[in-house]
Parts: sequence; C-alpha cells; structure tokens
Amino acid sequence: MGADAGGRDGVTAAQSTNGAAPLVELENLKLYFPIKSGVVLDRHVGDVRAVDGVTLAIRRGETLGLVGESGCGKSTVGRTILRLYKPTAGRIVFDGRDITKLGEGALRPLRRRMQMVFQDPFASLNPRHSVGRIVGEPLRTHGLATRREAAARVRDLLLTVGLPADAANRYPHEFSGGQRQRIGLARALSTNPDFIVADEPVSALDVSIQAQMINLFEQLQEEFELTYLFIAHDLAVVRHISDRIAVMYLGTVVEVSPADELYDNPLHPYTISLLSAVPIPDPVVEKQRESILLAGDVPSPANPPSACRFHTRCPYVQPTRCRDEAPVLRNLATGHEVACHWAEGIKAGEIKRHELPPVFDPGLQEAAPEPPPV
Amino acid sequence: MSVAELEAQEIQLEAPSGLWRDAWYRLIRNPGAVVGFVLVAIFVACAIFAPLIATHDPQETNLLLIVKGCCPGPSRAHLLGVDQLGRDEFSRIIFGARYSLVIGIVAVSVGLSVGLVLGAIAGYAGGLLDSVIMRLMDIMLAIPGLLLAIGLVAALGQGLWQIMVAVGVVNIPIFARLLRGSVLAQKENEFIVAARAVGVRRPRILVSHILPNAIAPVIVQGTLAMATAIIDVAGLGFLGLGPQDPGTPEWGTMLTNVERYFQSAPHLALIPGVAIVISVLGFNLIGDGLREALDPKLRGRVGRFRQRKMLGFLRRRRTAARGA
Repeated sequence: MGADAGGRDGVTAAQSTNGAAPLVELENLKLYFPIKSGVVLDRHVGDVRAVDGVTLAIRRGETLGLVGESGCGKSTVGRTILRLYKPTAGRIVFDGRDITKLGEGALRPLRRRMQMVFQDPFASLNPRHSVGRIVGEPLRTHGLATRREAAARVRDLLLTVGLPADAANRYPHEFSGGQRQRIGLARALSTNPDFIVADEPVSALDVSIQAQMINLFEQLQEEFELTYLFIAHDLAVVRHISDRIAVMYLGTVVEVSPADELYDNPLHPYTISLLSAVPIPDPVVEKQRESILLAGDVPSPANPPSACRFHTRCPYVQPTRCRDEAPVLRNLATGHEVACHWAEGIKAGEIKRHELPPVFDPGLQEAAPEPPPV
Repeated sequence: MSVAELEAQEIQLEAPSGLWRDAWYRLIRNPGAVVGFVLVAIFVACAIFAPLIATHDPQETNLLLIVKGCCPGPSRAHLLGVDQLGRDEFSRIIFGARYSLVIGIVAVSVGLSVGLVLGAIAGYAGGLLDSVIMRLMDIMLAIPGLLLAIGLVAALGQGLWQIMVAVGVVNIPIFARLLRGSVLAQKENEFIVAARAVGVRRPRILVSHILPNAIAPVIVQGTLAMATAIIDVAGLGFLGLGPQDPGTPEWGTMLTNVERYFQSAPHLALIPGVAIVISVLGFNLIGDGLREALDPKLRGRVGRFRQRKMLGFLRRRRTAARGA
C-alpha cells in the first residue's frame, strides 16, 4: 500500500485549519477498570490502568491516527471519547462542550454527531437484524426519518459505501468481511456525523480489501467533512490515512506528530524501536536495516512502572530521571510533541543505545497487585 | 429455462436468509424432530377433538360391567377396557389429553413468563439486583422440585389449577438462570456496544438486540419443560394433590386408585402411563431437534446437505439446457 501523496496533502489541509478550535479535546483522561475479588462482597483490590492521563486534541477535518501495541489502551481511548465508558478522571470536550459527566439522556442528541466503526465485522452487526434495519437503526433512534424516508436513505447509504441497494433485505451472514465492514461504515454515516472513531476498521480484512476500505474512508472524509480518530496497529495503514499520529504505550501518549514527520524523524525511544520493526520493501536496504528488539514484555497495566513507563524496556534508559520523574509531552519541533526526558540527546546521537538483555521479570506480569495491607 | 435463470436459482439456494428460517429448515429435516411433531400433533388433535373421538362419556360409570370381577380388558365396545368403576378407559385417555395439554401450557407459561422477566433483568441490570434475584433463585433451586410443588399446593389448596401453578413456579428459577446466562453472554457482544454508540435506549437494546439472540436456549428448555410439567403434574395427581373430583380424567389422577388392580387389570396402570410417555417423548424430541437447529455451531449441516443435492440437480439441468 503506497503511503505517499495522500498523507502529505492531508498535512497541509490540517495545517490550514489550525486556527479553529479542536473538535475533540482530552485533558488528562484516565480510565481505570477495577479489579475485584471476594466471594460474597466484591472488594476493590486494584485497577487496570487502561488509560492513564491522556491529553490529546483532534482538529476539525483531520485524521488523527492512534497507534500502539495490543493492550496499550488505544481502543479504550476511542470508546471513552464516545462515552461508552465512564471516565475515571479527566475531561472530554466535544465541540466546545464538556461531555465528561453527561448522563445517557443528555448524551443521546450528541451521539448523532459522533459514531464508531468497529474492528470485528462479524461481531459488530446483530445477526438477527437485516442490513436495512442495522443501517436504519440510528435514523429510527434519533427520529431523523419516517419509515419511507429511512428506506430511501438506507439505499443511498449502501450505494455510498459501495454495496448494492438490495443488500438492505439481506442478513449480515450473507456478506463477506469487507462487505460487512462497509455495512458498519454505512451505519456510522447514517446520522451525518462530524466525528467517527474508527477502531482498527481494517485489521480484520485482507490486504487487498484493506486498501479499498482505506480509500473509501478517505473519499468519505472529503465528501462529508468528517473528522476521524483512526485506531490501528498497522503502521503503513496509519501513515497513509493520518494527518497526525499519536503513539501510545501502556495507557499514555508518548509522542504526537504530523504523520510524515513521525516516520522520518521519530523522537521517542518507543517510536524509534516500533518503526525499526517495519520491514522495508527494498532487499538492499532491508538487509542493512537493524530492528531494535525490546527486552521483556509489556508490563501489566495493573501495576505499571513508576515514572517513565517505558524505562523497563527502553534501550536508551539513563541512570537519572527515567526511573523517578514522569516525563510530560513537550513540544520539540513545530507540532511534534514527545514525552521523553532525553529526546534531544537521543536525536543528536549523544545518547547511545545499549543492549538490554531480555530479562524475564515475573513481577511485571502479574495480573493483579497484592491486596493492600489492611 | 435459461442458464442465467438457473444460476439465479443457485444463488438463491446458497443464500437462505434469516436465521430463524435457517433453523426451521434444519428442524424439519431432523427425523427425530419430525417424529416428535407427529406425536405432539396426535396429542394436540386428541385434546382438541376429544368429544368427536371419544366413544363414551369419560365420567359415566357402569358398574354392571365389573360384576364379573375387575376389570374387563379391551373389547369391541370398550377399545381399551373399562376401569374399576366401569368407565370407558379409551374415552378417559382421550379427554385426559385435554388436561395434560392445558397443564403443560399453563405450567410452562407461568414458569417462562416470570423466569424470563427475572432472568432478563438480572442479566442485563447486573450488580446488586442481579445478586438479589439470583440468590432467591438459588434458594428455590435448593429445594427439590417436587417437594417445593407439594409445599406450594399445601399452601394454595388442592386442585388442578393449583398444581399447574405450583409446577410452573418450580420452573421459574430454571428459566431465569438460563436466560440470565444467555443475556450475559450476549451483552458483551460488539453489536451491543454499537447500539449504545448509536444511542439506542437501554430497554430497547435488551428487547431488540439481546433477547432475540439470547432466547434460543430458553425455547429449547421451554419445550423440554412441557414434558417435565406433564410428568410432574401427573406425579402430583397420583399423590392425590390433583383434582378433587376423582372422576376427572386426568392421567396422573387415573393412576391413583389402580394399584390394587395391578394383577387383575394391569392395563389400568399401563395405558395412562403409555399416554404420558408418548406425549412427553414427543415434546422431548422436538426440544432436542430445536436444540440442534438453533445451535450456531451446527449451523448449516443439514441445510448444506440439502443444498448440495439441490445444486447438483440444478447443475445437471443447466448442462442439459446448454446442450439443448
């Protein structure tokens, strides 16, 4: 898949809208899932810190890519923005309005404006509903159309996403994965939203279908002036579609940057090692490419490392600061933010990478921390 | 027929739509289920057309018939013989089907309706409400079913309606637990999250997204419960907790007073027993067939076999059409 012109054009588009207020703003967003244990009464013994202090802004009309390995909390961020989870702390602002504490009733009118496309095209469509009913459900829910209007609108939507109009009378199990994903996209588009969270919408698809879907996403963005939060773990896909990219590690954002800038000039050690793992489609260069293997496993989000969360695996880890001071996102170049104390030194080549032997530390893998002393 | 038309037919065959319709196809192709349907159809027909089928009034006694010792067996006048009071056994069995059918329906309806509501609320609401409801259900399950039913009859008073309600109440926790588990499993599905993201109201999510997907095991259990309800009510009737008019031609009650005649007239015990077995077997076979038809893991097995046969047939015709 060519990660070329599309991305660069997008950057200029995003920069031209820089002046406008962001559509979505997250301030120190935290979402902890409680760990409970006990036979009769559930005791709260700890938290899985799925999202731990994320600050992000998504500008109107841009595509913000959110990358990170499995379990780093990127999907949770997407779902929390849509208030499918109740945030533990922090603030979510949608179009200038604080929606952190809104109840389900107050949220409903806003749900029309923010929609979601899911990862699994098989699980995200109700198998007992016809496609027409699935795509028309948002219309019915928000009272946007009478029955007849809804049927016509559903046909239009299906054509828009590249499905035959007679798909409306059929059931999800009659469609392939790619087609189902189009159904999910038609559902998300039905209410004419401003903002769509795309939660790994192409990860479950074949590569050839992925390209089609990505192009469809871009085409729809142009047509309907959509803003995307595009969650993915495929770096090539993200580079192609995103204007800006945020990299997450263990519940925190470690780097935010314009898409191409991130790939050309990664600053955070985690991003550097992540990008070093991307194969290069040129046998000569590929042979010389040195991929940085990170030591150990991702620590448990129930018991994350203190200070910089990456210090347990960081190939550039320093004796000072890394283990006792949490880095915040700092703006280094224009629009390029990074959460690392030593980013400048690493970039200048003053700090060299040292080999960390892969250490198996069972303490870091425990699902739950010890219960606090009574 | 043109090649294109035949191909269109093939596509139609390859894509049967609707999960319920799929399940129905699989069900009517299951020999066990078909036998079950036949048995239940006979049973229901007997119940509905009892006055037309029966040869005698089921309550009419004719003591003259038993003067020569108890009790005359099958004869031309009395197809299945007469009981200890000279009543026609065949007519009593036919009319008894009415009672058993009503018993099954009422008992299952009571259990199903209350169980469904409690199970759906417990599964969907979760938390404290779930714990309270399910602990109550556990308490009910801890008491042996028949014992609980006897206790309930003791409280409600004896009679046919009372034992039907009692058996229904015994069924409540079974349905509630089943539906709760099923709802819990469906609740985690991504399409539920999708419905929430769209802004569908919670009660509507439960009714239109969760229940249609969670109801299959309950339907199976409901059919099987028909069978157990008939047995349980017969059991309570046998214990003398059933209809207080001993003339009532209810199968369980009919068994009550015949143990004295086991040796001289075993048919008095056997015939109502066989009637119970046949109706229970019918419901059980349907229930098992439904379980297989609704099980997503088995989806398409029988259907595909039929499709292959049909596709082969169409292909042959297509080749013939090409040749011509």
